[in-house]
Amino acid sequence: MAGKAELAADQHVRYIVTVEKKKDSFESLVMEHIRLNGAYWGLTTLDLLHKLHAVDAAEVVDWIMSCYHPESGGFGGNVGHDPHVLYTLSAVQVLCLFDRLDVLDVDKVADYVAGLQNEDGSFSGDIWGEVDTRFSYIALCTLSLLHRLHKIDVQKAVDFVVSCKNLDGGFGAMPGGESHAGQIFCCVGALAITGSLHHIDRDLLGWWLCERQCKDGGLNGRPEKLADVCYSWWVLSSLIMIDRVHWIDKEKLTKFILNCQDKENGGISDRPDNAVDIYHTYFGVAGLSLMEYPGVKPMDPAYALPLDVVNRIFLRK
Amino acid sequence: MEQEDESEGAAAEQQADEAEEQLADDLLLHFERVLHSDPLIDEVGFLHPTQFGSLGCGQDGDSASQAPEFQHRYFWCRDHKLAICSEILPKLYRAARDAYYNTRNAPSQAVHLMSLTKVLLILCPDMLTAWNSRKMVLSEKYDFTKLKDELQLCALILSYSPKNESTWSHRRWVLKQVAEQHQDMAQLVEKESVLVKEIAERSKMNYRAWRHRCWLIPYMTRKQVLDELKKSTRWSELHVADNCCFHYRRSLLLALLDSCLGNGEDSVSWESETCMLWKDELRWNEMLIRRYQGRESLWNHRRFLSQWWIQQLFSVEETCPSTTSQVDLFITQEIGLLSECLNDPADEFGESCVQAELSALYILWISKQVPAVKGKLEERLHSVSIVGLKDVLVRACRPEKRWLWMNVLGLPDRSQ
Repeated sequence: MAGKAELAADQHVRYIVTVEKKKDSFESLVMEHIRLNGAYWGLTTLDLLHKLHAVDAAEVVDWIMSCYHPESGGFGGNVGHDPHVLYTLSAVQVLCLFDRLDVLDVDKVADYVAGLQNEDGSFSGDIWGEVDTRFSYIALCTLSLLHRLHKIDVQKAVDFVVSCKNLDGGFGAMPGGESHAGQIFCCVGALAITGSLHHIDRDLLGWWLCERQCKDGGLNGRPEKLADVCYSWWVLSSLIMIDRVHWIDKEKLTKFILNCQDKENGGISDRPDNAVDIYHTYFGVAGLSLMEYPGVKPMDPAYALPLDVVNRIFLRK
Repeated sequence: MEQEDESEGAAAEQQADEAEEQLADDLLLHFERVLHSDPLIDEVGFLHPTQFGSLGCGQDGDSASQAPEFQHRYFWCRDHKLAICSEILPKLYRAARDAYYNTRNAPSQAVHLMSLTKVLLILCPDMLTAWNSRKMVLSEKYDFTKLKDELQLCALILSYSPKNESTWSHRRWVLKQVAEQHQDMAQLVEKESVLVKEIAERSKMNYRAWRHRCWLIPYMTRKQVLDELKKSTRWSELHVADNCCFHYRRSLLLALLDSCLGNGEDSVSWESETCMLWKDELRWNEMLIRRYQGRESLWNHRRFLSQWWIQQLFSVEETCPSTTSQVDLFITQEIGLLSECLNDPADEFGESCVQAELSALYILWISKQVPAVKGKLEERLHSVSIVGLKDVLVRACRPEKRWLWMNVLGLPDRSQ
């Protein structure tokens, strides 16, 4: 047995808080346009580690609102960028973390998302019309968090997601698209949020998902690919939603994630010994949360937010 | 005295900043000129300054030899290949970004906007807002030539950033514009398919590239679908671990089945043609399974093929019963394949173990997906001296697979 690996929580918190300050490299410059996604990854991780107070909430909320487009009701990935549902969900999720949905014109934001539903029930990501099951999930998740699901045709939205199911039990980005763990999370999440999980053959999908576990214990996203920490979230959350999480070896997966940490400087990478980034740090910690790792808050598998945050939203009403 | 020093320092700093800014603007202008002077650039490389030195810059053939000396240190363009010195990337990007923000909302600036977004997107293909600005300009008036240029820009970016989502998405937007104008899509679809093939060659298991190819299928004629199936055979044989290509073939086969529906007289002949193809695909897949041991994508493909095939055989038997059951023959053949895989001698890479596990799970899959053959499967297993499916799985699968197959077989697990 190798030495006992542990979660380097303090280092990860420090990594997340300081990552913002290294803005001058070309690598950070070309990430500017998705800063709102980055904010969601970083801040959710902080909350999972009980350290959300390490950032100034008012400052974050102000910045989030500076990415808002009052004419459309959507959010851009950063100040001055066009609105897209990808960033609108991140904005809503971060506001949920801080319990600050009150700063939103909720109906305006919900109308933006609802307006992107197409005739066949699918959703476009923005006014330019690209369709993807990711956008179905994002729309349903955003509207549900805002208590505005009634603004869309939920049945049609569900029908479209179901039409993207493959014979292997998985789901793709569009009808006939190859099964992919990330897309599966989106489709299962969409069906969970709308109470439509009966459309899923749980054993068949569970089978596909548990075949994602590689010999090294990590999970991959598709057949024949290498394991990657981010799939710990996509695959595990899907398995939990369909109640088949006991089909994989959680102990081996935990070890795999812990081995991807930079224990000195904080952060988690896609696989052992690679460079860390905020995206994999979030997915690693979120994966551990789903496996009830001590000291990490439990996470809601469908809404991708800490459970207490989700409870606050749905139990308060 | 000290104060004087400070203000002098500040002035010098300001001067340096201004010089820096001027340099960035000059670089941007020069880069725009390079792109303008060669619209056929098909490759971009970002080179470290030390590598850049070895290109023989500033000599004949450089696209803008009249440019000031310092620019030769940063750009190189010949034979439609462009190299940019990585040292200046942050400067160049910031200059392009700031110029773009100043231009984007000015409607009369369409040409300049296209030039600036081109620079920006070559440096940062993920910048959705810049792609949107281009869409805005392009949708003002339908212009096939301009849309074709746009496809070329996408191809250029995909050549070094083959997984870039925004670029693929923009490409689909362009194609939709063309399709909406009822342009003949046949030739375009063929070119797209070749592009994906070339990209997939360099970027293995590229989900986004293959997604694009699947997205094209509804634009294909039945003949094109058949051609695609034929053309991708060789490619698949050389890339047996690439599940994407096998998924593409599945999508093509399903499209053929769809096209059989409601086509009047053609329906019957098309259906028998598709059945023949399916049979060939099964045979070809078996050949690959035997040749390349332990490949997950090959077995996944077989699961798909067999499931539909058995159902097809059942429905044929229902309409015209015969003395020898085709389903029985098929099951016998599949159990034969299983028993061969189980008895393969061990090899040093452990591939035969993986092969045994995959073959056992394949049979389990069939028994789950087509419950009507469960009895027949067990029967055949007995005839090759195997007690039952459970024993096959115990023997062939790694211990961590136990949870899966116990649950699928509906067996209570006492160790839980």
